[in-house]
Amino acid sequence: MAVDPKMRFLVVDDFSTMRRIVRNLLKELGFTNVDEAEDGAIALQKLQAGGFEFVVTDWNMPNMDGLTLLQSIRATPNLKHLPVLMITAEAKKENIIAAAQAGASGYIVKPFTAGTLSEKLNKIFEKMG
Amino acid sequence: MTANNDSSDLEALFDSIAGDVKAPVPAPKPAEPPPAAGKAGDDDGLQALFDSVAADYAAPEPAAPKAQAAGESSEAWPGQESVFNRIGHMARELHDTLRQLGYDKLLEDTVSALPDAKDRLAYVANLTEQAACRVLNATDIANPLVDQMEKGAAELGNRWDRLFVNEMDVAEFKALANDTRAFLKDQLPQKTRATHAQLTEIMMAQDFQDLTGQVIKKIVALAQGLESGLMGVLIEVVPDTRRTQEVDKLMNGPVVNAEGRTDVVVNQQQVDDLLDSLGF
Repeated sequence: MAVDPKMRFLVVDDFSTMRRIVRNLLKELGFTNVDEAEDGAIALQKLQAGGFEFVVTDWNMPNMDGLTLLQSIRATPNLKHLPVLMITAEAKKENIIAAAQAGASGYIVKPFTAGTLSEKLNKIFEKMG
Repeated sequence: MTANNDSSDLEALFDSIAGDVKAPVPAPKPAEPPPAAGKAGDDDGLQALFDSVAADYAAPEPAAPKAQAAGESSEAWPGQESVFNRIGHMARELHDTLRQLGYDKLLEDTVSALPDAKDRLAYVANLTEQAACRVLNATDIANPLVDQMEKGAAELGNRWDRLFVNEMDVAEFKALANDTRAFLKDQLPQKTRATHAQLTEIMMAQDFQDLTGQVIKKIVALAQGLESGLMGVLIEVVPDTRRTQEVDKLMNGPVVNAEGRTDVVVNQQQVDDLLDSLGF
């Protein structure tokens, strides 16, 4: 699996602790090029500025939630190809279905393990080819 | 019966009506003896009072549909007064129900406890955030230390491998012996001590649990009081059909108790199975 370790990630979560944890886990997996955003609105701004290749986002956030962010990404021509992995505490089946229908590349429920993150990332990389 | 007794009867009747709209039928009972006693004046007064109270109760029932039909006219409509009366009675009924069941005191206590609960929850959020930061800081410090130990050991190990396949001259061997000694006697103990200090820091960061646990227990007790109070009120005043409206939205936060629920997943495997079953 030849995945560019310089791949640029955007980690979106309103809690700095969770952003730090995801950032650390990505670092352990070899991805050190990580930026953070604290809600969907800020994330969308950063994404539109360009340069990102992967989005990891929470669902429940102020200003713009993760589902809206996902829908906005999929509706924006120059962003819609971006893989979006959701990491969220929302565990209702309708949430998971809504995320999948909106075009999420993966769905991880909190609390999660480093192994789960690694597995889901690899699965997404495989699909990206 | 003296006039004095009658007037206290009147007062009792008035109080009972004012204080207990819920039970209009038993309320007039004290009014019955005075007519038997033949005190005409009191009798009239009581009768008038009884009539007015009885009218209040009888009127709203048939008036309600009329009021609805006339709802569009902006001026005072025919059933207006009876609707207001009815609402007034409902408010009174609610108030009295609360009081009879002792909920007013309970709700009052609870409401006054809410600001305190807010502060306590803010305290919990604060302590847990601090703890998370301490732990993350400690791992940030400890990870490079462990990496250095691993790298140092691997490097020395490779050099020892070379010695064992006779690829090393005496000068190199001396350097290796010195480096190994330095690694074992200085670098390794210093780094393990530093790592140990960070592990202790991680352990100590868990001290929030004791404090937040106490605070959360208090808030749970408060919430239970509030819940049972409000539940009592709801059962008294809300029609059955309105009781089972589930809050239904997509931002619910973590599932605190998944027992008996079929609409939520409890682990990653179930997420994956669900997505697989839907072909995603």
